[in-house]
Amino acid sequence: MTWGEREPERVEERIRIEPDGTVVALSGKIEFGQGIRTAFAQLVADELDVPIEKVRVVLGDTDHVPHDMGTFGSRSVAQEAPLLRRAAAYARELRARGKPIEGAIPTDVRLRPDAERRYVGKPMPRLEARDIVTGKARFVADVRVPGMAYGAIVRSPVRNAPVRRVDDTTARAMPGVVAIVREGGLVGVVAEREDQARAAADAVEVEWGEAPPPNEQRWDVPIRDDKGVDEAITAAPTRLEAEYILPPISNAPIGPSAAVADVRADGAMIYAGTQRPFGLREAIAEALGFDEERVRILPQMPSGTYGRNSSGDAPYEAAILSKHARRPVLLQWTRVEEFAFAPTRPAAYLKVAAGLDANGRISAWRYDEHTNVHTGGGFDPRWGAEASGRNAEPHYRLPKARVTLHVEPTPLRTASFRSLAAAENVFAIESFIDELAHAARQDPLAFRLAHVEDPRLRRVTEHVAKSAGWGRAPGERRGLGIAATIYHGTYIAEVAEMHVAQNGRARLVKVWAAVDPGATLNPDGVRNQTEGGIQQSASWTLFEEIHHRDGRIANSGWDTYPIATFRDAPESIEVDVIGDPTKPSTGVGEPGAVCISAAMGNGIFAATGVRVRQLPMTPERVRG
Amino acid sequence: MRTTLRVNGVDREIDVPRRTTLLTALRDDLGLTATRYGCGAAQCGACYVLVNGRAVASCLLPVEQASGVEITTVEGLARDGDLSPLQQAFVEEDAMQCGYCTSGMLISATALLHADPRPTDAAIRDALAPNLCRCGVYTRAIRAIKRAAEAEAGGSVQATERSRT
Ligand code: FES
Ligand code: FES
Repeated sequence: MTWGEREPERVEERIRIEPDGTVVALSGKIEFGQGIRTAFAQLVADELDVPIEKVRVVLGDTDHVPHDMGTFGSRSVAQEAPLLRRAAAYARELRARGKPIEGAIPTDVRLRPDAERRYVGKPMPRLEARDIVTGKARFVADVRVPGMAYGAIVRSPVRNAPVRRVDDTTARAMPGVVAIVREGGLVGVVAEREDQARAAADAVEVEWGEAPPPNEQRWDVPIRDDKGVDEAITAAPTRLEAEYILPPISNAPIGPSAAVADVRADGAMIYAGTQRPFGLREAIAEALGFDEERVRILPQMPSGTYGRNSSGDAPYEAAILSKHARRPVLLQWTRVEEFAFAPTRPAAYLKVAAGLDANGRISAWRYDEHTNVHTGGGFDPRWGAEASGRNAEPHYRLPKARVTLHVEPTPLRTASFRSLAAAENVFAIESFIDELAHAARQDPLAFRLAHVEDPRLRRVTEHVAKSAGWGRAPGERRGLGIAATIYHGTYIAEVAEMHVAQNGRARLVKVWAAVDPGATLNPDGVRNQTEGGIQQSASWTLFEEIHHRDGRIANSGWDTYPIATFRDAPESIEVDVIGDPTKPSTGVGEPGAVCISAAMGNGIFAATGVRVRQLPMTPERVRG
Repeated sequence: MRTTLRVNGVDREIDVPRRTTLLTALRDDLGLTATRYGCGAAQCGACYVLVNGRAVASCLLPVEQASGVEITTVEGLARDGDLSPLQQAFVEEDAMQCGYCTSGMLISATALLHADPRPTDAAIRDALAPNLCRCGVYTRAIRAIKRAAEAEAGGSVQATERSRT
């Protein structure tokens, strides 16, 4: 894989020391609540031996930071941290020798030993925390530029419908209207006030043409393909088959998409919540017909979007509006737009079969994953299995296995969403492992351990079982469920204590997690991310479903797309961070979300004997 | 329409079209952007402000109904640069991720602690139920609110504990 590869690094692209001693650390990665600004500041402060208050971390400003492919998955810290650390170490060497901070970073640069590091590995409040609680923090939609006007888009009933005719006679005469914009398939209004822009947008009459048919291409991608799998399953003394179904779900950020664009004759500034500032720069430059150097992307704090921000709809729309209105424009999507026009995580249908030998061990395994592409950019056969088939292959000892990804288009546009396909695959795999354990009349924990080869996976699994008091009976209509996985090098195991009411309402009572993300920069940051992943994924599991017909999404607000609230939060989420310090750091933004659905389903089974194979786990499904 | 809003203890004059919401007036006319848009339909809590001490959705409140009342936004919670016990507790518990929902939570929690200085878990969950958080910081926020309640009840005990940790 060549995604993360780079040219040899130069120190001045990463570290600058200002005359007053402030250390500026530059990175193309983006902060969106996962705490990387703090983690990077800790790293750089330690390596240069300065107080952390003296470090300023600049993230993603395309005029200043080195080129970067984007902040995907939870590998941003994992891949970026060593680069920044080496740059800071070299800057320290140069500073000691009284040399200017410039030049290629030598491969043998000396890093400070861990024992001398003050910040890394110590819990500390995030650097933005104070600004957030005092209201000083600026999110994208909080940007205010002199002369700024407000935009609104006239939406077509389905995406990509061509514009046949626009009648803006009424809209033009409405109060505050600055410009009615039409370019390609985009129709919008710019006005002095947001309400005025929306009112005028409602008054623009557009005749839309027929949208081009969606791409119907299909791919079958073999992930593992041993010989004789079907025969081995047929010959096994015990055989089991199951199907698991997940609906499309929405990233559903609390703050809908927004962007501010200031497009002038000779260049453009775009304030956006993006995970790919350089990718966005390229797209905006192309849309505006500018050289890339004339476009500056200034990433702002976004509302968490968990992958959705890699698509640049709002910045593009704001740029086109600004270009025609010749004013800086703030475009804030409404909640309705955010549900109806944002891309979604595609539905998945997972079919699994396995055979058990006479000793109750898995002898053969067959797995078919049917789903659409899982990344915003469309299907790329090179990353097909890595993205859309993520975690489709179990981490257990399987003498024979066939694992196949079937990419099947759906009428809805795909968003990248936390852990891509891993949460779906692990739901199916870890539920099915539980089913196999019961078929083999074995304890689900013991059954898992009997199939685990990797010592780190064994360690987190045993650890979480111990913290949760595995084996105890948690009470009337309550049950414990366990699940574990390896996600991008991070080892994680979770136990869910479930309670099921008589009416079938399932509640997540308590959660225990053990996570090993290798060497750990900031343990409390790992805990916070893991807890968040668990809480969010518990919400997917119990409540969430996008309803659609003919490519149109019917959910329009939090009433039709309910998510977990304070009332649904578990009593506690205990996360033990047991990172192996001798192993490289791996990401922690996503793993928490990956195994909780299966742990919950397994807990419901333990509580009631009902196996829920379809999400969300509504009372009807839980009643069985 | 000219009107005066009393925000964070100061009278502020604005000139806005009729039916402008308090949310819009705060953000676009007064530059107080900590009160955030999330849904415009009183379904998410991102836009909550204190009106005479009660937490209300500013996205549905027309300015016509907001004059003559005492409005407090998150910008008005700290006194002379000192964080309120709640703000302090949210920082210490790191009860936030992206932070988009945090303003609304702080407002609801401020109103709660005012009405009920030692709330139970259940009371916290009920009072904060309108405040949605997609990043999933609920359990931490509950911890932070309890911590703030304790700090306000036994200020000095809490202070020594804090200096130890
Ligand atoms: S914006 Fe007012 S409650 Fe959501
Ligand atoms: S912290 Fe991101 S929505 Fe609550």
